[in-house]
Amino acid sequence: MRATSDKPFLGFGLGLRTEHYQDILDTKPQQIDWLEIISENYMVDGGKPLYYLDAIRAHYPMVMHGVSMSLGSTDPLNYEYLKKLKKLINRVEPEWYSDHLCWTGIGHKNMHDLLPLPYTREAVDHLADRISRVQDYLGRQMLIENLSSYITYHADAMTEWEFLSTIAEKADCYLLLDVNNIYVSSFNHHFDPIEYLDGIPAQRVWQHHLAGHSNEGNLIIDTHDHDIIDPVWALYEETAKRLGPVSTMIERDGNIPPLSSVLEELEQARRIATPYYQ
Amino acid sequence: MTRLHELQQRFQDYLIGTSEEVENDIISSENALAEYRLGAYYNACRIRLIDILALDYSAIEKYLGREAFENLALDYLRIYPSRHPSVRWFGQHLSEYLSDQYDREDSDFVTEIARFEWARGLVFDGEDANAIVQIEDMARVPPESWPNLRIKFIPALRWLDLYWNACPYAVALDNGETPPDRQHNEIPVRWLIWRRKHNPNWRSLEVHEAWAIEATQQGASFAELCEGLCEWISEDQVAMTAAGLLKQWVSDELVVRVEF
Repeated sequence: MRATSDKPFLGFGLGLRTEHYQDILDTKPQQIDWLEIISENYMVDGGKPLYYLDAIRAHYPMVMHGVSMSLGSTDPLNYEYLKKLKKLINRVEPEWYSDHLCWTGIGHKNMHDLLPLPYTREAVDHLADRISRVQDYLGRQMLIENLSSYITYHADAMTEWEFLSTIAEKADCYLLLDVNNIYVSSFNHHFDPIEYLDGIPAQRVWQHHLAGHSNEGNLIIDTHDHDIIDPVWALYEETAKRLGPVSTMIERDGNIPPLSSVLEELEQARRIATPYYQ
Repeated sequence: MTRLHELQQRFQDYLIGTSEEVENDIISSENALAEYRLGAYYNACRIRLIDILALDYSAIEKYLGREAFENLALDYLRIYPSRHPSVRWFGQHLSEYLSDQYDREDSDFVTEIARFEWARGLVFDGEDANAIVQIEDMARVPPESWPNLRIKFIPALRWLDLYWNACPYAVALDNGETPPDRQHNEIPVRWLIWRRKHNPNWRSLEVHEAWAIEATQQGASFAELCEGLCEWISEDQVAMTAAGLLKQWVSDELVVRVEF
């Protein structure tokens, strides 16, 4: 199946976090169109995580987002992990699943960080091949997400957006474009985020992430523990102008505020993007 | 080896702390040198794993204090780097580490707290039971079937034999209460840890109940339980005691199936 212009649009969603489980079940907020789960948090045998997952899934469409596929690693693909992911996909029946364009370790060690890849032809071929094999194993296409990064390599032979786009075309997968990550990396590596947006194949972008970060002066760190800042909202508006309707969600992983506060941010996303969707 | 693999090896060696060679692969800018940029990853990896370990072992963190806990976590990371895709399993070897590598006079005590905290985590997201047997279900067992009655426990159940009062001590620390004095027993006490209504539960067992639970787990019938319990209970009381244990297990929501 090739990417088409009739991409699905789920509306505006949130990352499901344990702090909000009961509140979501009790109030079932209508402002939430869909939810994203971190796949690894539910790759367990039972108990509270799966209880709440099933209970909340009954009320909301979901997508699955992973942090451990380690697509860029030069270790063999971890089929034990993929088997568990497949089982969870069968349980959740998500609209789609995604992971990051990164590696997390080699030699069967896991650094539990999203480590950046060099933007080389070798890495493009390596990634495209592994994404294709994952898609074959799981029987459906995936979305890959751009990182926030703090380093670039001397070996880089192309821009990040060329890297991302080339891999997506070659593996025939879709893109989860994290708007905050573009902002963070553009600050850290001094590129123009608009040029990035213009270099991305719009028809392949199925999802956006929005989040806050920590500015340490010389580097911005992608911490997901603050509100979204105005320049990221402005960049999000630029994406809406260029890419049209794209399912958008807010990630919050630290310093998690009450649900009502995250819902206000979600409404802001809706107010910004919707005028460009007419 | 490919160039990509070699680069990843150099990067990972940097994160582990065995080589700084990867600095030559990284572009420096005026305001952020390669070393500074790489430091963001070096620190984030450690902080993330220390925080994960502190979530799994909250009582040990409180017992040792944050600074000592961080040092322990970093040394543990050096010896037991994570090899699992999920951080959920990073802390699985902590009690082994504490038992074998932790050089303190109280390492036995801390090891037992670790065993308790890890077991509590295992029952938290352990396998679900299909249905829990209720007291009314037991009433439907015909009297003549009781000798052959066998019960099956829920999967999210474990037990630990502990010499120290590690469980009440850890629970008090977690609740922000003053813990009891550390206490060592010559004979270990068996603690049952299981999940009930989504949350971990635990209680200590008397010797006869500890034996009965283990025998039941291994498939003993009610008649075999009664026979074995005669080691501690007089013959005229044993059927009543065994029935009392079954009732207790059912009301604790430990029983998933009754066969007779």
